Amino acid sequence: MESRNTELVNNAPRPTGPGSVISRLFRSPWALSRGLANSSMFRYVVRRVLWGVAMLVIVSMLTFIIFYLLPSADPAQLRAGKGATPARIAEINHSLGLDKPFYEQYGIYMKKLVLHFDLGYSYHNEVSVKTEIFSRLPVTFSVAIGAFVLWILLGIPVGVISAIKRRSLLDRFTMGASLAAISAPVYWLGLIALFLFSSDIGLIPLFGGSGSYVSFSQDPGGWVNSLILPWFVLAAAFAAFYARMVRGNLIEVMSEDYIRTARAKGLSERRVIFRHGLRAALTPVVTMAGLDLGALFGGAVLTETVFNIPGVGRFAYQSIIDSDLPSIQGTVLFGAFFIISANLIVDILYAFLDPRVRY
Amino acid sequence: MTSLLEIRDLHVHFRTRDGVVRAVEGARLSVERGRTLGIVGESGSGKSVTALTVMGLTRFPNATITGSIDFDGTDLVTLPDNQMRSVRGQRIAMIFQDPLSSLHPLYKVGWQIVEAIQAHEDVSKGDARARAIEALHEVGIPSPEKRIDSYPHELSGGMRQRVMIAMALVLKPDVLIADEPTTALDVTVQAQILDLIRRLKDEYQTAIVMITHDLGVIAEIADEVAVMYAGRVMERTSRETLFTKPELPYTWGLMRSIPRLDAPRPGRLDSISGMPPSLINLPTGCPFHPRCPYVMDVCLKTEPELLESERDHLVACHLQPADRRRIGRELQTQYRS
Amino acid sequence: MKGLTSQRRRLGAGSSRVVWLLLLAALAFAIVGCGGGSKSSGKLQSGMGVDGAGGKKGGTITVLSQADVDYIDPGLAYYSFSYEVVYPVDRPLYSYKAGSTEVVPDMAESAPEVSADGKTFTVHMRKGVRFAPPVNREVTSADVKYAIERGFSASVPSSYAGVYFGGLEGVPSKSPATPQPISGIQTPDKYTIVFKLTAPSGVFQGALALPLTAPVPEEYARKFDNKKLSDYGFYQVASGPYMIRNDKAGKINGVGYTPGRKIELIRNPNWVAKTDYRPAYADKIVFAEGFTDVSVMTKKILAGTGDVNGDSPPPPTELKRITSDKKLNKLLFFTPTSGGRYIPLNTQKPPFDNLHVRKAVAYVLDREAMRKTRGGPIDGDIATHFIDPSFTKKGFEDAGGFSYDPFPSTNHAGDVAKAKAEMKLAGYKDGMYSGPKVTMVADNTPPGSNTAKVIANNLAKIGMSTSIVSVTHPTMYTVYCNVPKKEPAICPNVGWLADFQEPQTLLDATFNGKSIATVNNSNWPLLNDPKINKAMADAAPILDAKKRYAAWGNIDKMITETAAAVPWIWEKFPGLFSPRVIPAIQTWNSGSPDVAFMSVK
Repeated sequence: MESRNTELVNNAPRPTGPGSVISRLFRSPWALSRGLANSSMFRYVVRRVLWGVAMLVIVSMLTFIIFYLLPSADPAQLRAGKGATPARIAEINHSLGLDKPFYEQYGIYMKKLVLHFDLGYSYHNEVSVKTEIFSRLPVTFSVAIGAFVLWILLGIPVGVISAIKRRSLLDRFTMGASLAAISAPVYWLGLIALFLFSSDIGLIPLFGGSGSYVSFSQDPGGWVNSLILPWFVLAAAFAAFYARMVRGNLIEVMSEDYIRTARAKGLSERRVIFRHGLRAALTPVVTMAGLDLGALFGGAVLTETVFNIPGVGRFAYQSIIDSDLPSIQGTVLFGAFFIISANLIVDILYAFLDPRVRY
Repeated sequence: MTSLLEIRDLHVHFRTRDGVVRAVEGARLSVERGRTLGIVGESGSGKSVTALTVMGLTRFPNATITGSIDFDGTDLVTLPDNQMRSVRGQRIAMIFQDPLSSLHPLYKVGWQIVEAIQAHEDVSKGDARARAIEALHEVGIPSPEKRIDSYPHELSGGMRQRVMIAMALVLKPDVLIADEPTTALDVTVQAQILDLIRRLKDEYQTAIVMITHDLGVIAEIADEVAVMYAGRVMERTSRETLFTKPELPYTWGLMRSIPRLDAPRPGRLDSISGMPPSLINLPTGCPFHPRCPYVMDVCLKTEPELLESERDHLVACHLQPADRRRIGRELQTQYRS
Repeated sequence: MKGLTSQRRRLGAGSSRVVWLLLLAALAFAIVGCGGGSKSSGKLQSGMGVDGAGGKKGGTITVLSQADVDYIDPGLAYYSFSYEVVYPVDRPLYSYKAGSTEVVPDMAESAPEVSADGKTFTVHMRKGVRFAPPVNREVTSADVKYAIERGFSASVPSSYAGVYFGGLEGVPSKSPATPQPISGIQTPDKYTIVFKLTAPSGVFQGALALPLTAPVPEEYARKFDNKKLSDYGFYQVASGPYMIRNDKAGKINGVGYTPGRKIELIRNPNWVAKTDYRPAYADKIVFAEGFTDVSVMTKKILAGTGDVNGDSPPPPTELKRITSDKKLNKLLFFTPTSGGRYIPLNTQKPPFDNLHVRKAVAYVLDREAMRKTRGGPIDGDIATHFIDPSFTKKGFEDAGGFSYDPFPSTNHAGDVAKAKAEMKLAGYKDGMYSGPKVTMVADNTPPGSNTAKVIANNLAKIGMSTSIVSVTHPTMYTVYCNVPKKEPAICPNVGWLADFQEPQTLLDATFNGKSIATVNNSNWPLLNDPKINKAMADAAPILDAKKRYAAWGNIDKMITETAAAVPWIWEKFPGLFSPRVIPAIQTWNSGSPDVAFMSVK
């Protein structure tokens, strides 16, 4: 309820959202820099970035501590092999830097990371962790982005149609199917997909099977063929979840007052549903999608494992089996980085999508 | 003068899991050009449903609508959906109670007004925008060329309602239905909005249907008044008559519950005893009988018809007109002392 | 899936989710096939003699595996899967043919000449063997010398160099940072290498068949070996019929070797066929790694998109199905692994410091039930002592063969009565243990966790209650069982593989009191019996094979009778070959496939 009489005074609050920053971009650079410095959005971003960095430091510290406190296998012994003498193991400990106290090891690790962007070398086979992760990132991106596109293209229309035809047979069927897709464990679904559709061991040979991944630059056709089953398997639960979410959001939004106003203006029902209803229903979905995608960039471990796709998730799993701290640390940091960045991007995006949001 | 909008014997029922909701039962209303019809009643009296039905916004699969709504020669009850859509917003417009939730939060107000224009007229965006600015200026919004790019949440409550009015009137409709347009605003702003509506009505000769539960608003702006209860019109007359010579026990209750400036301060506010009836399980006979201090045996059995008590004064009550006038006068004197 | 998991709990009524899960489980069974009544498996084909005979040249062979090799550097490789790559690529002084366990000369041209005092071994090497690109030159004795020397440096930390080559004269007492010469290895000329030992050794000849003796060119390898930790493995140069594909500079990383993903072998252009006994039929061999799901792996082999399983056996359900099928049965071979699994009992703390309590455990354990946890008879033979059947004529018979069992019971199901009798001899009234709980550190995943449960149940029969600590398999070894200070009373999931077909490699590190180490210990029972220690010290220098095997066979009996560990299975490794290849098996390497002898039909 209004409590101030501001009707006749021309001092309504001036918008300082993202639009104002962009409009300033088209004026002079001086105005831009002043505008940026004054812009609350800019300050917000800076603050979030600093927090993000602090978060990454904390994550790295926690990983280190967990590795040392919980009983995980001794990397020096694993590396040394069964016949090695204690002297040999001590040597390996020393060359891996494991004989130093753990806070010193942490300090060395952080120094290398910050000054040289050096993520260390695997305890298991001496490969550079950075090289390994970077070579696997494009693979994980392929899996994640493909699944993402698929689940958006599947989930959102299904959710919209189900909301529009609420309680119809179609609606009940799609919601039932989505519950099944959400309940199905990814690994199991992957195995079923392989046993049904993979070109070598499936009942109906259609798509590339486990281990058939090739990079896009090597063979674009083969790349697509090897990823179709993983995309569907990974997208299944997400698509189902998003369908349910979009349906719920849209049903809720359609009972809002502004929908009634839109109808009262004489707009076609289609325009009311899509331009008014969906526009409002999708804003939380966009942010959720961004977060899910960011998390997937850290590696879809189960999908990559069952389909033998050499991505970061597979690498993370193998590093844990091998008690390979530098690799574990590297994958955890990358995963954390993607999640933190996704959070930040999604929050900024939200300000563009919903003008009521202020930073 | 033939009425621009005439509602006859309108029944609107909704079939729900709990039973049939009789939202409107035989409503009779009319409004002329340049005049304001005020519809007053409690929540659940059927006033909003009547308005929405006029707009064609109650055409749900579980709704049964019978009767006639004659608008300038066309019956809106039987009008096909696509034709109804071109009437809606263009010839009959509606504004709602809470302008913050009634405007789309994610689109600029200018965009929403332009959309209203372009839904019905084939004009360019530039032209529509110019008309929108003009409309904002007309409703008294300062710097309309700047404000047109504001989002609803960036404006104050009063400004938002002005925007809604601008959006409703930009296509110069014949009828404007206002459903509690000032309830969410504070009193000073309320007065300004009512002034604005009255001014626009006079300028464009728009017929106004003002729905409210607030007798103060009725006193301020209505020419004719209809009192609705349990989906029925129970009393219909001019504003003057309603406030000086009401003949309905329900109306007497409403009047009595308003605190008066010229009377000593009462210890407790008077209210009508009892609760509004359930629209699914309506009482037999007169729907008001459980709460009426003047109830008679016949009230429990038979529904009173809306009959002319004197010229331009329709009342639905089993009390004899003579009795009603006598009781009315008694109550008036009570309050004057 | 961050956002997903937090939302999942809100979704869907709990009971309808359960219904869906059950429906899906039923669907799973239907699709995967609950494999019709698998009563008994058909006849199990043996991996002995599977040598790929009759093959023709050409084609590509694909080996499927779960994980990667332990080391790509041949001087460090110490794992049966790694040997599938190393032996076709590098030529140690001595090596093996497929299908056999006989040591044959490889880089050497004949058996070594041994001096009378048994301390000098002279090996004459073949001429005309050349390194692969980018080194290309002829292999000489200096290359073998350097290969062994590098295993003693901190930069190339070989696990077994000290164990088998530590007897050489001039071996450093402390590891030098980078490879240094060892005086006990001499190269009088380009094709002769002489080893001088400080004491005679019966196993030294067998040790010359380890990959550490495969030649490494010093002028090329030095720059890698001089680093803190050598990365020669990523630049290695081959001497065998195959090489790991490399670039012009010799790098294999990212070319023929992608760690955790694949290893690609192509022909060594400088290989001279007449210097080698390997047929090397295939043109190319690909090791495709990362197949975590063994049922998928098995199906791929049967469909022909993979040719053999490299490091993991097919699951027991698939094994039963394949062996009961007349046609598929021909694709599957069972090879005894050289070694076995046993249950060590910590002899240095109560209650297992008492001989009779240990004997009671040896009587009460139901070995048949334990074998069931690993798939039943298809997994191998019940073990009754430590030298396994792959050592036929190499000590197995001397150790008593299949018939020797000091703790017999019907069907190896355990004998509670005899166990209780032993407990009474230990001083427990009515034969039931009365003492604090006994701790076990076991795997947290099947089948190891199941084996531990069976043991716990068996021990309960003599009143012994157990508390089980569940950890991952590597943690079980490196944090608990390999560290005497932290070792529990029982380590139920350990086993031991021989390094080569010499019984000493089965018994020395595992039961010799002198082998007990403070960390990375393999003598899990912590057995330190002076009689046994002396017998081992006496047996080690025996150069005569027959006498040596007899001596170690006797030691096996002595160990078995102490019940310091209860042997329970001599496993067989199942090798499944696709129908498109002619199989060949490294019978000497626990049944791993031999790609240098396999061919495409």
